[in-house]
This record gives sequence, C-alpha cells and structure tokens, in this order.
Amino acid sequence: MEKVALVGYKQTKHTFESPVARERIIYELVKSLYKDMGITKDDIDTFILASNDFTDGRTISEVFTVPRIGAYMKDETKVEADGLNAALYAYMRILSGLYNTALVIGFSMSGSEFRVPLTQAYTMDPAYERPRALINYYSAAALQAGAYMKKYRFTEEDLAALTVKNLENANNNPYSARKEPDASVDKVLGSKLLYTPIRQAHVSAYADGACAVVLSSKKMARKFTDKPVWIDGVGHLMDTYYIGDRDLLKMDSLAGAAKKAYKMAGIKNPRKEIDLAELHTNFASEEPVFTEAMGLFKPGSAKDVVKNGESRIGGSIPVNPSGGPLGANPVNATGLIRLAEASAQLRKEAGKNQIKGAKTAVVHAQDGPGAQSNTVFVIRR
Amino acid sequence: MKRNVAIISVGYNGRFVSKRPDVNIPELIQPAVTNALGKTRLKPEDIDAYVVGNMHTFEGVNQPHLWASEHFNGNMKPVMRIATGGTTGASVYQAAYYHVASGLYDVVMAIGWEKQDEGDSQVGLMGILLPEAFSLFHFGPDTSTDRGIAGLGGGGSTGGAAFQAMSYLAKANAGIEHIDRVAAMMRSNAAKNPYAHLQQPGCTEADIAKTPIISYPLRFGHTCPTSCGAIAMILVSEEKAKKFGLTDRIAWIKGLGSGTSDATTGNLIEGQITDPAEQQICKIVAKKVYSMAGIKDPKKDIQMAEVYSGFSHQDLMWPERLGLVEEGASPKMLDKGAFAIDGEIPINPSGGVTSTNAIGASAMVRVGEAALQVMGLAEGGHQVQRKIENVVAHGWGGLFQFVTVTVLGKTPVKS
Amino acid sequence: MTQETRTIESTWDLTAYQFKIEADALNLFIKGTKDKKILGRKCHQCGTVYVPGPTYCRKCLIDIDQVVEVSQEGVLDAFTVNLADVRGIPVENPFITCTVKLDGSDSFLMGTLEGWTEWHSVREGMRVKVVWKDTTSGALADLSHFQLI
Repeated sequence: MEKVALVGYKQTKHTFESPVARERIIYELVKSLYKDMGITKDDIDTFILASNDFTDGRTISEVFTVPRIGAYMKDETKVEADGLNAALYAYMRILSGLYNTALVIGFSMSGSEFRVPLTQAYTMDPAYERPRALINYYSAAALQAGAYMKKYRFTEEDLAALTVKNLENANNNPYSARKEPDASVDKVLGSKLLYTPIRQAHVSAYADGACAVVLSSKKMARKFTDKPVWIDGVGHLMDTYYIGDRDLLKMDSLAGAAKKAYKMAGIKNPRKEIDLAELHTNFASEEPVFTEAMGLFKPGSAKDVVKNGESRIGGSIPVNPSGGPLGANPVNATGLIRLAEASAQLRKEAGKNQIKGAKTAVVHAQDGPGAQSNTVFVIRR
Repeated sequence: MKRNVAIISVGYNGRFVSKRPDVNIPELIQPAVTNALGKTRLKPEDIDAYVVGNMHTFEGVNQPHLWASEHFNGNMKPVMRIATGGTTGASVYQAAYYHVASGLYDVVMAIGWEKQDEGDSQVGLMGILLPEAFSLFHFGPDTSTDRGIAGLGGGGSTGGAAFQAMSYLAKANAGIEHIDRVAAMMRSNAAKNPYAHLQQPGCTEADIAKTPIISYPLRFGHTCPTSCGAIAMILVSEEKAKKFGLTDRIAWIKGLGSGTSDATTGNLIEGQITDPAEQQICKIVAKKVYSMAGIKDPKKDIQMAEVYSGFSHQDLMWPERLGLVEEGASPKMLDKGAFAIDGEIPINPSGGVTSTNAIGASAMVRVGEAALQVMGLAEGGHQVQRKIENVVAHGWGGLFQFVTVTVLGKTPVKS
Repeated sequence: MTQETRTIESTWDLTAYQFKIEADALNLFIKGTKDKKILGRKCHQCGTVYVPGPTYCRKCLIDIDQVVEVSQEGVLDAFTVNLADVRGIPVENPFITCTVKLDGSDSFLMGTLEGWTEWHSVREGMRVKVVWKDTTSGALADLSHFQLI
C-alpha cells in the first residue's frame, strides 16, 4: 500500500474568546501554514474541512469558510465530525492515487459563540433521551468515571493528580487556552462538583481555535519537508448509541479501532512500542479508561500509573504531553490538534514538553455521548 | 495503482413523500438499508464500513447517525459522517468511493436521507445566512419597506435562483415557456418513477403555466417540494465484484469530482464576484471527471444525465454546463424532444429534484438513478431503452457554489 | 401492528449563539455612502475589485488594502420581478430586485430597480445608475436604488 505523510501542521493560540471572527482565524492559520511550508494554495489538490452546522450555528456552515482556505474554484468537501476524521478522509483520498496533497482543517468557536452542552444536547434522540435530560455528555462521562473509580479503587485524589499532570503540561504549551500555574490536587478537589465524581476542573477547556495539517503522498512528501511523519495505521469504529447498552469500561469501539490501527502499523505490543499518546478526552476521568482500552496500560492500573508518573513526560508512555483537551478543546479541531501535537513530538518541535527519542505515537479522536465513536491513528517518524 | 470501484445495489426506503409521521429518523433510514442489502446476497456483516449524511439542521437532531447507528447496522463498524448542503448525498457517496479506492475497505454502504417533516426547513434555510443577514442591521439597512431588505438579500422569496434563471434565459435566448416545458416534462417523468414525490402523469406546459409566479421568471411549478426519504447504495472493489460473481447489472464508477466557488448569491458582506448562471466551477469539475473517465467528447460518449435542479431552469442550464449540449442549445434540444426519456440525451428520467427533494438524499439519488439506468433496473417505465454506455450524475448545493460530478458506465476504466 | 406516533415540540435555537462577523468590508462601504461614493477594495495581485471590499482576495488568498472608488453607473446583470410574497400571495405593486455590475467593479451589487413602466421591457445589459437618498448618514440605506438610464 502507498504511504501517506503529514508534511505540515499548525494550530492557533486557542482562546476563550477570540478577538476576531472564525473566518479570520482560519484564513490567518492556513496562510501562515502555507508560508511556513513555502507552498501556496495551488500546491493543494483537495481541501477537507471539519465542522458541524450545529456547533457553527449555521446551515451548510462551509459556504463562507471555503474561500478562506484557498479553495475558491477548487476541489473541496466537508466531514461533519472531529478533524481527525477529516484527516482520515484525506488519507483515503491520497491512498486512492487520485490526489497527492490535501489540506485538512478543523475549527470552532466553542469558547465564545455557543455553549457546548447545548449542541451536545441536540445529538440526543428527541423522543426519549432529550426530554428526560438524564443522559448528556457530562453524565455519561460521570457514569463511566464512577464505574472505573469504584471498580479499581481509583480515588478522587488520584483523579485530581491526573488532572494536575495535564494542567501542568498545558501550562508549558504555548497554544493552550487554559493556564493554571497554581494547579494543585487541593485546588482540583475544591472545584465545583458537576456530576459526581466529575468536577469543573476535570472538564476540558472549550475554546475558540483551529488546527490545519497538510498530508501528502510518499512521492511528494520530500518536496515539502525533510521531516515527514508517516501515517502507518488507522482505525475507526462506532459503538451503539444507548449508554446502557455499552460496556463503559471496556469501550469496545475504541479498543477495536486501536487494535486495527496497531495491526496495520505492525505493532504487536503497544505498551512497549508506543512512545506517547495524544487523546481526545473531554474529561480528565476518560484518560485511564481510554488508555487501558487502547492497551497502553494494564486494565485497572491507573492508580499505579498516576503514582509512578508513568503517563507523565519522562514516564513509560506520556499521555497528552501537550496538556490535551484540558488545555484547549476547540470542538471539531481537538482530535486534529492531537495529530499536530503528536507530530510535533516526533519531529522534536514540542518545546518545553518535548519527549526524548519519541518515534511512534498514537492519536485519538472521539464523537458522540460517552465517546460512542472513536478514531485512532498510529504515526511514526 | 488505481482501484476500480462499482455500485452493485441501490435501495430506497419507499416512495418519497412530504410527511412520514409514522416513523422517526432511524426508522426512515432502515428500509433503504434493508432494500439495498436485499437486492444482493450480502448480509449486514458483509458491509465493511458506512458513510452517512443528511442536512441535520433541517431536522433538529445534531449528528443523527449516532442515534440511528443500530438501524443501519452501524454498531462496531467504521462510520463517517459527511454533509455539504445540497451536494450532501453525492459527497457521502464520493467518500464511500474513497473508502474502497483507498484499499482500506472492500464493501461500503453510503446512506443519505432527509426527514423534512421532522424539522422546519425554513429555519434550516434561514440558518445559512442568518448571522450574515443579522449583521447587516449593524450597518443601517433600509427597513422602512420589505423592498429594502429584498434588495439587499436579492431575488426576493426564491433567493438568488430567480437571478440565475433570468440570467440563464438571457444567455440562452429562451423564455419562461421553456422553463414551464421542462418543469412539465420532469413531473410527467416522475409519474413513471414509483419512488418520486410529485407525480403528475401527462403534466403539460399549460398545467405549469397556471401556477402563480413568485419572482419572475420562477413560478411555484418551477420549485422543488420538501420530501422525506432515504437512499442506500453498496459500493465494492473490482476484486469483490468478481468474487461475488457480479459482472452484469453493476455500474462502474469511471470518474468523480467535486468543487466549490464562493457563495454566488447572498454574499452580502464581502462582495459577490461569481456569476451564478455561468457556473464555471461546474465546467472545471466536469472537465476533470471526463478526463478521468476517458471521455473525449461528452456530447457523443455520454448517453444520459441525472442533474440536480432545485429550480426548473437549471434542468436546462446544467446539461450545457456539463458539456452535454452546446452552450445555449438546451431550449432547442428540449423543444425537439431530445431531453425526453426516449430522446437522444434524456435528462432526469427519474423526474429530478423538482419532483422529489429529500435534501441529504437528493444528490445521491442522482447517482443511484444513474446507476440503475446503467444496470437497466430503473422501475416503473422510466428506464431508458436506448443503449447506455455512460451516464453523468450531478449535484449542486451551498449558496449556488458546490458542484459534484460522477460518470458511471457499463465497463470499468482500464488502469 | 399499530403505528401510533407522538409529536414532540423542539427548536433549533439560533439565538443561543453569539456570532462574530467581520465588519471591514461594510465599514468601508458605508464610509463611502456617506459621501455618496461607492468604495471597494482592489487586489494588487490579480486586479479583482470587490464591492463591498473585504480585506483579503479570495482568488489569491492574500491581504489587500487598496481602497478604490468605482463608477456610479454600470450594467444591469440580472433581475427578478417580485410578483408574490413568500406565501405566494400576489403583491399589489410588483417591484424589481437586481444585480448590477458597476463600471470598474468585479462585484455584483444588489438592490432594487426603478425607472421602468412595463417590466416586460426590462432587459439584461441595460445601463443603470446609482440613486442616493437626499441625506446620507453612512448606512446601507443611503443607496436608495438603481435607476435605468
């Protein structure tokens, strides 16, 4: 099979309220990415946007954004899910042999223009779940967190320590929206309780921002960069809709997607072969469940992982060394940012959060209540 | 090494109608899926992946595929959601093509639907421009009469379509009677399609001309209905087609492409520079697709078309922009019967979008109908009897700016 | 099998959003209308003149800031005769909305068209001019309509 590389990436400095409109955000981002790479829009064969009409508050939300990325009179389409899925589609288009290069962009104004829980509520089935209003993305995560903590004696303190690990990473990431230099276990434990055991401090930082990447076929990759990052494995799966029908701790769709990506990438033992993970966690409490479903840590081991600092920078598998979505979660861009951050690590461009000798990374994006749908990439330098 | 991909099955949920109070969104989709599977020997577990889409702001459920997953057998399967306005169905199908063409999957189902009785289409449509339109109030528009607002928004109640229609008529030296005539042909074609929404057997130009004018030259009879309906298609790789023993009655995807210009109508705040009747982007995409399909002269090599026309004048405009007839020749071709089901280049034997419009399905219905024609399986008397080698299917959407084009044929392109 | 259904009321609340819209193009436009001028921006690379004029060129994807004044006369590009309202009820006084390409501009500007008695005689390609309100205040409403010459 033909190989596909990530040859360029860029994200905005995410904020809770952008001073400029979304059109300007993506225009500036894409232009500076082209400039960094020394290319023009004419080097791009196909443009793929990731956005959602509900999070944009507009029907056919791309009508005014396509010209801002250079797609005027060009080949363009839109994936209505997280940007990592748009990258997956771009990857497919290049694999088909019909395209050599693709620009992928995800963006949202989830910090200032709308309330994320409202657009999430619109995904609930209107006849049963929506009017009952018992299940939402927060309560689904709380059910999962509660089940995990009870089963594996993972305490509130442990969860707070894991949250602080991410916030510290976010503090060192120049692109984070959320900066809490005084983050501490006590401070997390003192934050407002939303749905037990989920506290405000555990919730990701919904922000205004965008991320763009350029993918290329193998034969063109060296033209763009001497540091290509290869997409060696992909997997995506959707689980059943109703939370009660799922095993919230096993997370079959995530486990299955990861397994598929590992198989494609020839990874037999992810615990040994993966150097870092960038995960799309909407809540800090998702991290232990996700990493275990993906085979990065032993089931139920989160207490030890946190205690021994195994998921910290310098640990056996650093998880979200960028700070992850706890630092910035611009909906639709978040999974794509994971790809950009992991690529930065592999290219030794991650600044203060750089992991030494990272060669293989796993990247993840989710969608739906309780991470119903999951997408996994394995990338290598 | 390019991989050949074929459409092996097309399924509808049933006849498209304006109201389906008896089902919800997942239940609307399910019969189309079952129907597509039923026409093959495939079982749900044989489908490797799904690509789905609709215009969810029209229905008030965000990403309804999450909710509907069980109803299309999507549990523990790869599912991708695509939505691009009017072109949604075709964009979904094109993504399904790339799922197979990439080599990642062999058997993929594409599903497009809309349940427009479930939501408020006017709110959905307003949602396209509302933020931009609201912003105008910061710059002192004339609100003393509705004319001031109409002048800003352009085109009155049919939006920019009336401008486009007028512009087209001037370019093609045609009159409103040509729009009436093509509209009548579509409604009577629809009567031969058991899945079509507005079926009017023997509909005449005079019947259409009786309907009131909204914005000259567009009448009520020139506009599309709001429909509920779903379509599912199964796409397979060449190897799988052989393995399934399928060589006949399948449609090969020979060429495909999509493209965008800017918003060519309603671009209220940053200057509109693209002529909506010129449709340069359609010409650009068609050229690329024909070259991929090995088509040298579309006028000779393509025998039939399914085009996406939200308004009847477009049934004349698109054949020209797609290069199926000379620029400006459509009215004459229509008059001499060339666009009829038994004509030399039939346009929309299905009745087209002006007869049936379930938005997220519509552009895929064009591809599905093209596939059925290639397979020789179009039901109810709308099968073209002349020998068909290649068919072009077209999609259109956004604010007059998105275009999708596909060429399907009886034999695959040799790579 | 019975097919009983229930209808549930629900809305997509567009007022729940706080939209940010770029204002540069319209700010320049209404600055011009105050002095009875039509202002836009020209791309220094491809020469495209946008009215209203955003601060970037969508053909070249570059920043542009060359303010230009375009002619107040131009060509009727397309028009439609508004004979009925949204519900299809005929309006008492039909009116024409149109797009106009002013000389020196690449944009199609929208507005209403006056200066005709019989709408059947209006043709695309006719020359038109801008008609201003008597007093202008720097608002979109300053441009009253287009008039056939």
